[in-house]
Amino acid sequence: MNQAEKMLKKAETTHDFPIKAKREKKKEEKGINPNISTKKTGLFSSFSLKNRENIQGYIFVLPWIIGFVVFTMGPMLFSLYASFTNYNITSHMDFIGLDNYSRMFNTDPLFWTSLWNTLYFVIWTVPMTTAGAVLLALLLNQGVPGMRIFRTIYYLPAVLSGVAVYFLWMQLLSPSTGLINTALAWFGIDGPAWLFDPEWTKPALIIMKMWGVGGGMLLYLASLQGVPKALYESATLDGANAYHRFRHITLPLITPVIFFDIVTSLIGGFQIFQEAYVMTESGSGGPMNSLLFYNLHMWNNAFEIFDMGYASAMAWILFFIVMVLTVINLRLGKKWVHYEGGDD
Amino acid sequence: MLKGKKSFALFMSLFLIISVVLTGCSESESENASSDQTKDGRVVVDFWTFWGSETRRPIIEKIVKDFNESQDEIFVKHTYLPWGDIWTKNLASIAAGNPADVIINDINTVSHRAKNEQAMNLTKYIEKEDNFKDSFYPELWNAVTYKDEAYAVPFNTDTRLLFYNKDAFKEAGLDPDKPPKTWKELEEYAKKLDKKNGDRYERIGFYPVWGSFGPGSWAINGDQGRNWIEDKEVLVNTEGKVEALSWVRSWRERLGDNTINEFKSQFGNKQANPFISGKVAMYADVATFYTQLRDYGKDVNFGVAPIPAKDEESKHWSMGGGFVAEVPKGADHPEEAFEFIKYLTGVEAQTYWATKNFDNVANIEASKKAAESEELSEEGKYVYQKAVDNLEVTKLTPVPVYAPDYLSMINPQIDAIMLGQTDAKKALDKAQKDVENIVEKNTK
Amino acid sequence: MEGIRKNKFHESQTFRRRFMKTIIMLILLVGSVVILSPVWWLVSTSLKSMQEIMQFPPSFMPESFRWQNYVEAWNTAPFTRWTLNTLFVTTCVVIGNVLVNSFVAYGFAKVKFPYRNLLFTIVLSTMLIPGFVVMIPQYMLFAELGWVNTYLPLIVPAFFGSAFFIFLLRQFFMTIPNELIDAAKIDGANHFVIWWKIVLPLTKPAIATVAIFSFNGAWNDFLGPLLYLNDESLYTLQIGLQTFKGTVSTQWHYLMAASVMVLLPVILLFFIFQRYFIEGANITGGGTKG
Repeated sequence: MNQAEKMLKKAETTHDFPIKAKREKKKEEKGINPNISTKKTGLFSSFSLKNRENIQGYIFVLPWIIGFVVFTMGPMLFSLYASFTNYNITSHMDFIGLDNYSRMFNTDPLFWTSLWNTLYFVIWTVPMTTAGAVLLALLLNQGVPGMRIFRTIYYLPAVLSGVAVYFLWMQLLSPSTGLINTALAWFGIDGPAWLFDPEWTKPALIIMKMWGVGGGMLLYLASLQGVPKALYESATLDGANAYHRFRHITLPLITPVIFFDIVTSLIGGFQIFQEAYVMTESGSGGPMNSLLFYNLHMWNNAFEIFDMGYASAMAWILFFIVMVLTVINLRLGKKWVHYEGGDD
Repeated sequence: MLKGKKSFALFMSLFLIISVVLTGCSESESENASSDQTKDGRVVVDFWTFWGSETRRPIIEKIVKDFNESQDEIFVKHTYLPWGDIWTKNLASIAAGNPADVIINDINTVSHRAKNEQAMNLTKYIEKEDNFKDSFYPELWNAVTYKDEAYAVPFNTDTRLLFYNKDAFKEAGLDPDKPPKTWKELEEYAKKLDKKNGDRYERIGFYPVWGSFGPGSWAINGDQGRNWIEDKEVLVNTEGKVEALSWVRSWRERLGDNTINEFKSQFGNKQANPFISGKVAMYADVATFYTQLRDYGKDVNFGVAPIPAKDEESKHWSMGGGFVAEVPKGADHPEEAFEFIKYLTGVEAQTYWATKNFDNVANIEASKKAAESEELSEEGKYVYQKAVDNLEVTKLTPVPVYAPDYLSMINPQIDAIMLGQTDAKKALDKAQKDVENIVEKNTK
Repeated sequence: MEGIRKNKFHESQTFRRRFMKTIIMLILLVGSVVILSPVWWLVSTSLKSMQEIMQFPPSFMPESFRWQNYVEAWNTAPFTRWTLNTLFVTTCVVIGNVLVNSFVAYGFAKVKFPYRNLLFTIVLSTMLIPGFVVMIPQYMLFAELGWVNTYLPLIVPAFFGSAFFIFLLRQFFMTIPNELIDAAKIDGANHFVIWWKIVLPLTKPAIATVAIFSFNGAWNDFLGPLLYLNDESLYTLQIGLQTFKGTVSTQWHYLMAASVMVLLPVILLFFIFQRYFIEGANITGGGTKG
């Protein structure tokens, strides 16, 4: 039984398809190549098969195209233009060429500080949250009693948001009475001063991020439901151990979601803002600017100094950096992401 | 499962219908208020503040109500917007041309907004009034002018005082009616007030930067009240500031990093308060800190005093801030807006605000009245009078338009000093150079 | 012989499975404590009096449980009205997101048309630009349309797709074997029918994920309502929560109590939606047994 047939079977047992019986028969008669199909019905029957496919494709993506043109494209182009001006939001927008860009690289030391802080954060959080989320999803997919409650608990941090949460973390990270250092003390470790020590502020934020790993967990949980149990059962009978089952059955099937998670958490990681803004008293960047992230620096330029032109230039440099990384990701993805129904 | 799905869909659509109906109702209700005029033809003035808390909202709304009842041409509509974000919204709405008519904004950045044309020049309305600017403290009025024209009217202000625990003073054999006057006395007192159990501190006499008087404030206190930048002259690495910051750092050395971090982390989240819980015997904070003592620290027997001066010759320099009422650029009804601002900053409204909120106000006459007001308790009057007196030596830190981000150059250096990573002179020399660079770049 | 060996094999298998499950259970329990400890502070602070909150060191358990904090917090502002507003906006956004994103994602995953990859790259690129710099021009746009002080800027965009969800659903749809789609085509079904009748039912866990995520996002959205709503009667809960944060002092007990109340519907929703994360697996298991 190949994968497709299993999926079909799954579909059938889940739902009653009106086309079920007919399809079984036709598949035998004509194979599965759609080009051979001679029976044209429905709305698009007067077009050739290829045109029909094209038009349907555009209809599917049409809502997004309209939304993009109406709501997104204009503001994006506006900010691109603003990056070449001294735009201050309220009174002037004069063309100044590449001044903003050259200032960024030559005379703004905080630009480099913020970029470095952000890179540090991304390099640690992306792999850690991805691995953590996969692991958690596997654990939460084992049919242990009380599963629903466990899942809810682990997902809880993802729904908790806002200022209250950050203040709670200040409690937990408190050097002497905080829970984290208390726990470390049980193992004889003298915990650091976390948010007060520039060396430890970023690790503190990374720990916070790990706490919220339940959001990613949900993605993997969803994708694990697509892995047919029968595959595991037959593999077990064949003597595969848990690791092998994971490596050869589960992992390939969830690669599309891992890929999604990596790409989006990379993008999200570069845009970290809220945590730093709240935890550093009015967005000042923390002790010795150790929490001055890229977006925080940008925010300060845009809304404290009103240099929106410069902030826009920063945004587009970030766009460029993340675009390059995403394209690399997409290229690499072709090598390791396994699409059951991919088209190449 | 199908059943579950259906009931869920039903649940969702029910909510949808209910909320549509209710939302629809409210929209028709509020329609009148959002338009330019009320039904009876009064001009609607949109007034945005961040005073939404249970304590402040009723007070500002009473002032608005009194104004609305006092005449029949203007109707002020008060809208609460969250602190901080209110100004983001203000910017967006100025950019789109639909701002409020009056907004409460930060006093230290008025000229910065004036320069960027976010606030309206109010000179032509002010000129029509007699001696308008004389009603306000000069330091405050100074902060709302840009190139000699007023772009806002001061509303309230604050000032830092030294709160001290009288019981702790008695316990340590100090005279509870003689608070420390100089840095030297402060140190002597603090050592006597420290209470140790083994190597753990049970009570710390004093630590300069807790409360709301940070290292930067001490630097100005120790430099004859001179700001970081005064009239394009950069005064970052002056002898006074270097000394002050070394002095603040020395407190940290005395108490040790661990003790400081342990205490700070407890109070850093702004929940627990070290003075109220008796963990610190002296504490510099804004005068309105009194309301927290009044409400949550009933057992604390405290006194207030000016911030200690550097030495006998120096003044007790303190730091202040405050808020202003301004008219955003592009507001529909500037004239009516100013009419309301006049009321808001007038004696009656200001006295009401001052006594109900226990807050320092910008209007001089109202301040005097409030300090004698029957609304305040004896204790309240005592603190309020001290606060009003303190305004004499209170400095604001208006943001210079030619270096709006100067603090981002200075703060990391102060952090480095406080962490003991570099000495004060070296760090401030670096900051001096950085700030000089931006000033030079922006004044070319 | 053969039969007995098989039995023994099964026995040791079930034993090992039980053992593994116990281990997993233990790990999950320990993890739950870690996860829940910050939540505990939230709940315990919400039950304390302001006096107690100001004390040092902070108490782990409230001296007395002040349940009235919840009532009082709720009554400080029109929270009932704001809850309904939030529910309305959130429901619309979830409906829009689920329908439109799955529709668009199907196009990118299962239909071949010219410039598809280019368009998809543009979809991804809209995620790369930080929100602040497009916030002002977007506000000007909505102001121009006359949508300020209505829910339209919060709801309408959800009906035109969001890059994050399109990408997410595309990834899920691409795991559906093409044979399945092709077979349906042979039966004469066009892509719209396939999307509605085959793909959506097959990817229920993914759709539920989108619903949960977008519910969360809309429920917790703060900047959107803040920027676009001017009348307090139109406000949403996230703005309401800010009322407890004062300039001088914050009413922590009320803030935490209100935060807990705002959180509950989201947890409830997650609990309800969880059915979609269990059944799929069970049925597959049962279905292939025979």
